[in-house]
Amino acid sequence: MDFLERAPRNLFFTGKGGVGKTSVACATAIALAERGRRVLLVSTDPASNLDEVLETALGPEPRPIPTVPGLFALNIDPEAAALAYRERVVGPYRGVLPDAAVRSIEEQLSGACTVEIAAFDEFSKLLGDEPATGTFEHIVFDTAPTGHTLRLLELPAAWTGFLQANAGGTSCLGPLAGLKAQQGLYDRSRAALIDGTRTLLVLVSRAERSALDEAERTRRELSELGVERLELVVNGVFVATDSRDPIAKAMVHRNQEALAAMPTGLRQVPKMEIPLLPFGLVGVDALRRLFGGVPEDGAAARTAPVDSRTSLPGLVDLIPALEANGRGVIMTMGKGGVGKTTVAASIAVELARRGHKVHLTTTDPAAHVQAAVGGAVENLRVTRIDPALETRAYSDEVLRTAGANLDAAGRALLEEDLSSPCTEEIAVFRAFARMVDEGERGFVVIDTAPTGHTLLLLDAAESFHREVLRTSGNAPEEVRRLLPRLRDAAFTKILLVTLPEATPVHEARALQRDLQRAEIEPFAWIVNQSLTPLVLTDPLLVQRRASEARFNREVSELAPRVALVPWFEPRSGQRFSLVDEQFRTAEALAGSGP
Amino acid sequence: MSTTIRVFDPAMCCSTGVCGPGVDPELARFASDVDWLQKQGVKVERFNLSQQPAAFAETVVVKQALERGTDVLPLVLVNDRIAVEGSYPSRETLAALAGVTVKKLAPAPTASCCGPSTGTKSSGGCC
Repeated sequence: MDFLERAPRNLFFTGKGGVGKTSVACATAIALAERGRRVLLVSTDPASNLDEVLETALGPEPRPIPTVPGLFALNIDPEAAALAYRERVVGPYRGVLPDAAVRSIEEQLSGACTVEIAAFDEFSKLLGDEPATGTFEHIVFDTAPTGHTLRLLELPAAWTGFLQANAGGTSCLGPLAGLKAQQGLYDRSRAALIDGTRTLLVLVSRAERSALDEAERTRRELSELGVERLELVVNGVFVATDSRDPIAKAMVHRNQEALAAMPTGLRQVPKMEIPLLPFGLVGVDALRRLFGGVPEDGAAARTAPVDSRTSLPGLVDLIPALEANGRGVIMTMGKGGVGKTTVAASIAVELARRGHKVHLTTTDPAAHVQAAVGGAVENLRVTRIDPALETRAYSDEVLRTAGANLDAAGRALLEEDLSSPCTEEIAVFRAFARMVDEGERGFVVIDTAPTGHTLLLLDAAESFHREVLRTSGNAPEEVRRLLPRLRDAAFTKILLVTLPEATPVHEARALQRDLQRAEIEPFAWIVNQSLTPLVLTDPLLVQRRASEARFNREVSELAPRVALVPWFEPRSGQRFSLVDEQFRTAEALAGSGP
Repeated sequence: MSTTIRVFDPAMCCSTGVCGPGVDPELARFASDVDWLQKQGVKVERFNLSQQPAAFAETVVVKQALERGTDVLPLVLVNDRIAVEGSYPSRETLAALAGVTVKKLAPAPTASCCGPSTGTKSSGGCC
């Protein structure tokens, strides 16, 4: 492993959801610790999987990993950080100020911006505050999927700029009212981030076009931020051992095609490849083998042979229930990389084909819904929530309304406020509420960002809902009605998308619990990219297929409804539909015989 | 002696409401009136309950008023006496309280949502 030899103090692993950031970050941290270093592994993902992967219960403080001497790990949990922050502010006033006053402070400090800033504060401390982490020789950051992470990495610059420019007024910087005092910390974390002698950013990708394209976009954005040192890891490159297996051939072809089409900018970045392994990367022993690459003998024998046929229904079987009301919101949610965009696009295309008016959109800044649909489809409108555009539109609206009667000085002050990074949170949230509102007049299919980001959006929905109830309110109607609509199972149908693997299933399980806590019931689970219904001979694929059975079972127990989508090779230049694929696969299976 | 105006706001995201679910034009208006008054040389301080709870706890009349519930906010104090309770006064009223002559009423500027706080050390949240 090349970057292990030259590892600087800080290592960041980022990339599209599902590419294996956590696996590669953990394997790196373990390898460094086994060279005798003291290593701190940090997850910045609100939906961290470190606990499961390391088989250790983690918290916000470094905890030792028992099986790896020298390795410590922690999760930055934004909600927990916000809670701790809230307690620091409110605690001293319990019993000093009247209860009602204390309660109103707590409510005010429950918003999305507090959460974001509290998490960012924790992150800055690890990166910019040497004394706090000085006992560690390496800090390995396993980050949330790209969109969310880029924002985190851009924040030090954004806040620093805002603090310098904003001269007057009271502050809504929340946890950062200490902000001015924190400015030195933000400057230091920004300096550490871009300095190649101190920080290496590793772009993790798969040998897939969308993942490589996203790695290239991230590379460009990071270069613009001034980040000096980048490397690329292509994870899960499939090597076929049975060249007669058509699925194996298709997978190899797909990998090679994607690598051949790698964007030019990315080619300049030092690269290493990690082969696809036949086992899931859960547990320290499995992770130790990631850089070894040699599958353990007899791994297949440990899994009982299973009937490869499944009685689980397909995506097409969900369509009648989804279209029954002739309108409403359909949302795909789940871990990064499970195929939320593909499933959302496929359902939207199918509904449009059946004559419904459909709007397909995404809250994921890194998603490419238009590309997933391919060409134009009758009845189907495809958009995305663009944070920059929404922020500008929202600022304009505020200046037009609240700013209407202000003089030049007043407008300047208002504009200054609006340049705060907080504004983006509000703007994106309002756009989301607007999309949900559209479900009253047709179908809106919303592809959401990976879990962590989506959880924060839902949390915002809840805290704004409370705020709207509490205040006389100038909130738009769609914001007032957002949470009740999301809770209305006849109006909003949530599809939890997963792969038949441990972490995506368990992340979806946790997400389902979070939704239920918010009184939102998911409609169905979708197991995507399943090998279960396929005829396979390649030993590695047969082994992977065998490992799917227990996750299919687990999903069936968790889900109110299940649909299974087989793995298939996307064919370029063709409009794409998982619903069609289902038929095609069924036919192929019928043709090949049991 | 020169007059000091102190405004004790309810717990809110920010004084303009820009980062809440909806923007209240009344907040933007008042924030700009405060800015105007400061430019007339009057000392005006604003305290947000969620950001500077210490100021509420340390100011006896404010703490006492809060015993009646948070609806008493906003409170406007002239020197150490409550002058306005439960609403934001107009620019004219503010000027009268401060003993400033209003020459010509222009539309007004606003204070800041997400701006750094003025002097007070206590941290607080917005948004």
